[in-house]
Amino acid sequence: MFESTRATPPRVPVEERLFSLVLALLASEQGLTKAEILSTVQGYRQRFVRGGDNTSLERQFERDKDDVRELGIPLETVEPPGESGNNQLLRYRIPKGEYDLPAEVTFSPAEIGVLSLAGTVWREGSLSDESQRALHKLRALGVESSDPLIGYAPRLRTRESAFAPLNTAMDRKLEVAFDYLKPGDEHARRRRVAPLALVQHEGRWHVHGIDRDAEEPRTFLLSRILGAVTTTRRSFTEDNAGSAERALTDLRGLYESQCALLDVRPNTEAARRLLTRALDREDAPLRVHYTDVNVFADELAGYGPEVLVREPAALRDAVIERLRRTLRNHTAEAVSDRSEGESR
Amino acid sequence: MTKSTARAGAGLQGRDRLAFLLVLVPYLIEHEQVSVATAAEHFGVGEALIRESVALIAVSGVPGETSAYQHEDLFDIDWDLFEQRDQIVLTRLVVIDDSPRFSAREAAALIAGLQYLSALPGSADDEVIGSLMSKLAIGSSGRPTEVAVAASPATAALVPVRDALAQRRELSFDYLSADGRTEHRTVDPLRVESLDRDWYLRGWCHLRQAVRTFRIDRMNSVEIGENQAQHGADDLSVPSDFFQPSATDLTVTINIDTAALPMIAEFFTADSQVREVGNRSLVNLRLGHVHGFKRVVAGLGGLAEVTDPGTAREEVAAWSREALAGYGL
Repeated sequence: MFESTRATPPRVPVEERLFSLVLALLASEQGLTKAEILSTVQGYRQRFVRGGDNTSLERQFERDKDDVRELGIPLETVEPPGESGNNQLLRYRIPKGEYDLPAEVTFSPAEIGVLSLAGTVWREGSLSDESQRALHKLRALGVESSDPLIGYAPRLRTRESAFAPLNTAMDRKLEVAFDYLKPGDEHARRRRVAPLALVQHEGRWHVHGIDRDAEEPRTFLLSRILGAVTTTRRSFTEDNAGSAERALTDLRGLYESQCALLDVRPNTEAARRLLTRALDREDAPLRVHYTDVNVFADELAGYGPEVLVREPAALRDAVIERLRRTLRNHTAEAVSDRSEGESR
Repeated sequence: MTKSTARAGAGLQGRDRLAFLLVLVPYLIEHEQVSVATAAEHFGVGEALIRESVALIAVSGVPGETSAYQHEDLFDIDWDLFEQRDQIVLTRLVVIDDSPRFSAREAAALIAGLQYLSALPGSADDEVIGSLMSKLAIGSSGRPTEVAVAASPATAALVPVRDALAQRRELSFDYLSADGRTEHRTVDPLRVESLDRDWYLRGWCHLRQAVRTFRIDRMNSVEIGENQAQHGADDLSVPSDFFQPSATDLTVTINIDTAALPMIAEFFTADSQVREVGNRSLVNLRLGHVHGFKRVVAGLGGLAEVTDPGTAREEVAAWSREALAGYGL
């Protein structure tokens, strides 16, 4: 943190400064100017130098503003009429009506129970912080929950490290760039994307967005994003309302339109996994829908001899190719001997 | 090696504390007098956090007309009750009198959780979920973020498992174990858990005389028994992590293109180590059972190679050779 190194003003804890800022902005109907905030609000005023250089304090205020907004608190900027462009006259405020939970939003004990369970679904990753805060807000309502689903501990993961930066970039409407290893390809390619939605389908997380090179909507698997996601400074203007539902509808459509015919050995891991997804558990061969030929081929190759693909030919070939590659990797000389010093 | 999950900055702590202060105030307004212990339990936080937060609220307020934080511009509490009896009573309020809205991302996290739960048999139906989703949308400060989860079809066996749990009765089934054998098991159900698409039963296994985890889609011929379950979740401690390292785990070394490392990240355990050699990486992974790892490796599309131990290499080779033989190759 960049605290002032000037002669020791009393140290005010971060949360006290932020709390005081929110209270002051909620209390002021017409809003406060930056100068008013820095000179009067607890946590700033102790470090404010009248007529002096307050650059670092101003930077502190900018970061605090971001923190407050990050929590979803509607911190507004108001330009006085006829004075546009004059930053010194900008006023900051938090309109009480936009801050308070609307009176018509009430929850029954049963609803609180369901929502509490929904909130515990995220127990790791970036959404667990969000849902933890949401659960605290629910509890502040003072409605005791009735627990309709006792004994359940459902859990969703967002293990992919790409999830958090994509979610933040989507929120801020900023384009991202990442290296993407398209299923079936051997090498990754850089993609520039305006992220519009994050959806989980068939247990896999996808980011849906506009691919800036193709200027077309595309959907990417998060597990195939290699390395870090770079958030650019380019903002995008596409409205993403309803994008998540549309992306899921597209994925579902793709899933419904593709069907594999599989011979599956009974009473094996493959049978247990695939029967749940089969059109009819009694069928032989089994009919199973899938979304992406390469992703499904990876899964099926993992089952080894427990599954034999009859149709379609593309899936069959993809599985055979994977099995051959795996066999080649594990016979004759080790890859480690081959790859040392070898360049791609 | 595990990817560091530590999140940046001291700012986060301050921000989370702020969020908590803003919900604690309306809760205290709602309850005229409440003990520190009750408040801590209600929010599921430590008593120390409640005490620190109350002490901070009690000296906070607005600059006021004089810009000098006069007494009447600040919250106040009954200090005697607080310091001597650990009871909280707000005696003066400033500005805040209501709960805050949800942020767009908070609302989205709850909505996606609801969508996931809708796959659960006997959970809230579509109508309840739909109504909750619209309430969350109205109650959030921005349009909920575009995050959605498609409910996966639940395993058929989930219904009897859930019923046995609710009725506290024994459950018996044929279980396909990781090594491919089928065993008949009788279990006192303790908890139904899920991890993404997979559903698990944690239960007291009569055969093993211990708490065990069963994947529900590996169960067959599931029957609810006549007998009451002898053990319940209240009288047994169920470990929170259901994949526990055991002495029989196999450590294998995998050679993989460094760029493709994220694809196997989910198999990393705390003691996994990555060593880079040229553009490839050597990783040791501890895999639950001897018969599981060959599936993992064969499922990586040929991007990875087991280098050690030799028996594991042979097992992967045999696995893919047998599969190719099925195609007449």
